[in-house]
Amino acid sequence: MMTGISVNELYKTYNGSAEPTLKGLTFQFEEGKIAGLLGPNGAGKTTTISILCGIVRSDSGEVRIHGLKQDAAHRESIKHIIGIVPQRIALYPQLSAVENLTYFGNLYGFKGKALRQKIMHYLELFGLEKSANKEIHKYSGGMKRRANIIAAILHDPKLLVLDEPTAGVDVQSRSLILQFLKDYNQQGASILYTSHLLEEAQSLCEEVVIMDEGKMVVQGNPLTLIQQHPACKNLEDVFLHFTGHALRD
Amino acid sequence: MLRLLATIRKEWQLLLRDKTGLILLFVMPVVLITVMALIQDAPFKDYQDIKFDILTVDNDHGRLGRYVREGLESGGQFNIIDSLDGQPVTAERAKALVNEGKYKISIIVPAGATAAIVSNANRIVNDITQRMGMSVSLPVKKGADSLNVTIYFDPAAKKAFKGAIHQALDNFLTQVETDMLLDRIKHQLRGKDSTAAETDTLPIRLQAVGLKELSTGTAKQLDVISNSVQHNVPAWSIFAMFFIVIPIAGNMIREREDGSLLRMKLIPGSYLAILTGKMLFFVGICVLQFYAMMLVGIYLLPHLDLPKLVMGQHHGATLLVASGIGLAATAYGILIGTIFKTPNQALNFGAISIVILSAIGGIWIPLEVMPVNMRVLGHLSPLSWGLDAINDIYLRNGDIDYVWKNVLRLILTGLAMLAIAGWVEKRRMN
Repeated sequence: MMTGISVNELYKTYNGSAEPTLKGLTFQFEEGKIAGLLGPNGAGKTTTISILCGIVRSDSGEVRIHGLKQDAAHRESIKHIIGIVPQRIALYPQLSAVENLTYFGNLYGFKGKALRQKIMHYLELFGLEKSANKEIHKYSGGMKRRANIIAAILHDPKLLVLDEPTAGVDVQSRSLILQFLKDYNQQGASILYTSHLLEEAQSLCEEVVIMDEGKMVVQGNPLTLIQQHPACKNLEDVFLHFTGHALRD
Repeated sequence: MLRLLATIRKEWQLLLRDKTGLILLFVMPVVLITVMALIQDAPFKDYQDIKFDILTVDNDHGRLGRYVREGLESGGQFNIIDSLDGQPVTAERAKALVNEGKYKISIIVPAGATAAIVSNANRIVNDITQRMGMSVSLPVKKGADSLNVTIYFDPAAKKAFKGAIHQALDNFLTQVETDMLLDRIKHQLRGKDSTAAETDTLPIRLQAVGLKELSTGTAKQLDVISNSVQHNVPAWSIFAMFFIVIPIAGNMIREREDGSLLRMKLIPGSYLAILTGKMLFFVGICVLQFYAMMLVGIYLLPHLDLPKLVMGQHHGATLLVASGIGLAATAYGILIGTIFKTPNQALNFGAISIVILSAIGGIWIPLEVMPVNMRVLGHLSPLSWGLDAINDIYLRNGDIDYVWKNVLRLILTGLAMLAIAGWVEKRRMN
């Protein structure tokens, strides 16, 4: 199986910051897997995702997405491959779901009937068809999260990156979102997912990377990791084993 | 092109949903220019249209008093008041009333003023005829009286106002003295020439060289004077157009905060097309604002007893200037939205900076009346470039040749601000 994401010796220090955010981060995920990028606050997860997507430049190191090096020459090609679901609801609250999705679809170059059909298909899939013309600010938290995901998959990305896609949503919405991710993965897409909900990550992910202070501390299948550490009953115990109990504010 | 058009449509949809924003963009400026044109109408009329009451005390009852009265009345700028409560105004009462600020000016013509002028004219004529060998002697008063027409000004009167009154009275005095002298000369010549005495048409031209005001422009020159409407409507329209920085900056910050900017940057294709769509939309809004306010100047303000706005004859040049102002204002909004992290910061800085730029840029008061240093500073304000260009079109009937330099300044400043915004955004991401 091909490598879906390859991160090698990544270093990053932000302008004006004395402390590096990433200190030689290295990991690989195979193509077609659901992978979890886990870590406490300040571990460098968002910076890693930003570098993967090409919106932040690393100081050194190399990133490859589906074999393409993340550099100026391949940045546009990689954008076609990646779909990102930010933690915040990256939609215009005053516009309806249809208006938002039409706009982002147009930016991808889709238009007309084909775009409308695609939007309606996904709205039905995510249970939003009845609220299609309702303004986003009138949506519940779960509805917003679902619409946020649709905006990221309009171009059928091969790699879907989700930053805490189920934070603050009700059980029904979370169940629908997780089922969608499994189905989307079944269609051949790779999924990279970050979350603080480790029980959810344990059940969803085939592979996880736990990172702390800008470095990878452990990588593996969640069940394998639990088995390798007899004192740990679940992924949360493994997480605390490697990152400690000290608060990260 | 699809990205650009989609962005314009999206911005339009957002604006339509934002009722407060619509009011801020279109209703408030209309109220602003109407109020400003009304309250600044009086200062603009100070020396043009407003009539002042002048207390006049004529103790002379001669030709000088009559000339002063007729001269002041003929200008149409003064109401002559010589009696109050059915009683003639006295010098003492006039002085007291002006000192109290109830009247701005009082003129007292002393008793014997005309007689003194006649005596002086007689003295000159006697001197001339004697030198010509004629034995004519007109009556002359013994001893030279020192008489003055007295003027009292309100202590709060402006220097320019005082100067104008002094000048006018001086002219009347000169005119009376000259008339008296010519009368006397004609009278003496008639005595020597019986034909002239019968016809009484001795041609004496007092002014060999006169004054004539002509326009400086072409045959198309407009007969427009700078009044409250001609200054305030364009000036405050430019001020209001620059206030578009508030919604633009808020829009930019919200897009950055909620992640939609990130989403747009992750979509394949140039972000420049999206930015261009956003710029075109807001520049279009600025131009719409501009013309909406011009319509107020043309159709609404005349109903409020204000002059009608005259827009000049070069409408293409006007559109170009409005677009240039819109571009500079939009770019400034994008810069502020990029630099500041919260809408509150952007709102405060944006509003205060526009007020400062407008104050030094001649929006509140014309640059010409500012101190020299402030005038130099004022010419660095984009608002002053916009106003200069509009004045060139409206008052000087200028075309694109007149305004292109100021439009270029506006465009280059806009592009520079966009470049700075791009640099700041790139730095922030890294």
